[in-house]
Amino acid sequence: MRMLLRLLGLLIGLVMAAAGVLIVIEVIAAWLRRNVVTGLVVPWHLWRPQVETTSWNEAPVPGIAIAVAVIGLLLLLVGLLARRSHITLDGPAPEITVVTAPRVLARLVGRRVRGTDDIFSASVTVSPRHVSVIAQAWGKADPELRDIVRARVEELLDELPLHRRPRVSVLVQERQGTP
Amino acid sequence: MTTPVAPESGAVPTERPARPAPSDAVLHRRARAALTRSAAVDRILAVLIGLVLMAAGVLVALLSYGVFGVARAGRPLLDPLIVDAMRGRPDVARLVVLGAGVLLVLLGLMWAARSLRPERHPDIVLDGGSDTAIVISSSAMADAISAQVNAIPGVGRARARLVGTDEAPALRITLWLADDAEVRSVLARLHDEVLAVARDSLGIAALPTAVRLELDTSTPHPRVA
Repeated sequence: MRMLLRLLGLLIGLVMAAAGVLIVIEVIAAWLRRNVVTGLVVPWHLWRPQVETTSWNEAPVPGIAIAVAVIGLLLLLVGLLARRSHITLDGPAPEITVVTAPRVLARLVGRRVRGTDDIFSASVTVSPRHVSVIAQAWGKADPELRDIVRARVEELLDELPLHRRPRVSVLVQERQGTP
Repeated sequence: MTTPVAPESGAVPTERPARPAPSDAVLHRRARAALTRSAAVDRILAVLIGLVLMAAGVLVALLSYGVFGVARAGRPLLDPLIVDAMRGRPDVARLVVLGAGVLLVLLGLMWAARSLRPERHPDIVLDGGSDTAIVISSSAMADAISAQVNAIPGVGRARARLVGTDEAPALRITLWLADDAEVRSVLARLHDEVLAVARDSLGIAALPTAVRLELDTSTPHPRVA
């Protein structure tokens, strides 16, 4: 999202600059050539009759307005959503900030869960506040196995100096496709 | 205060005492700022322009559908009242439009240049005396730190960058940890054996550091233990 924001910034900046250059050129040209009604670069003399005869309630004005509003909404969302997303860990000193990506924690948790006896596979979703594990067991998915998996995940979280400890939810299912 | 020279580290000596360290809160803020390149200005501009476009689009759509009156919706886009007003004082109208154009060019170029500009990596300047300044290039500093961090057990590989300004440099380190890495131990050794030595060697009181942890995926892992 942050890369998209930078690309959009470049694009919008260039469009603004190009529009500004055209406006400056046309205004200066109109000022210097007072008896000429044609534009120097922009054919605004061809557009003017249409703009003078088209009213606000005629097509395509409402469509263009809605399109502009949607583009504005998208830009607003990109600006609001381009936030840093990471999990903060406690550093050994105030001048050291330590972070990691949710996917890194998800891989660590997944590796730890898959290393549990009787677990066939695991799917892990991590956010800064929540770790969700869906594991598939080789055999029966009993509550004891779920407690074992949860303990393994809690043990891993204990090993990490997480600034905010996420909640852990574990769901153990029987392996799909077993007779 | 730090010891100005650490001879065994092989770094540049300096006789000048270190400046007093900023407060912990300031250091913490600078370390957080070093995590990634700031996108605050881009975000604010995107939100502002998004809001303006959305408001304009919605207002024009409402006007088109007659919410502000059917007669108003039936008026032409280029209203004769506006045309007459501009014809009445043509020079003022031109100056206003010209000013808007110049403003658009300046803002647009500034925003585009800001998006294209690479992130700054400041050199560290040490005062070597009354007429001497010792400059340690950011790349040399980053390479030295990377090499030392790589030597910490549990670190698969590491990359360091100097970021921030000349007056307030900070360090950004990305660590790719090995499977058997003890995170607390790695961070403690980074603090005690790398950053403390770097600060002492350079004679600087503080070096805010942002650390990003990744997993070293260069070695395959067994899927089932």
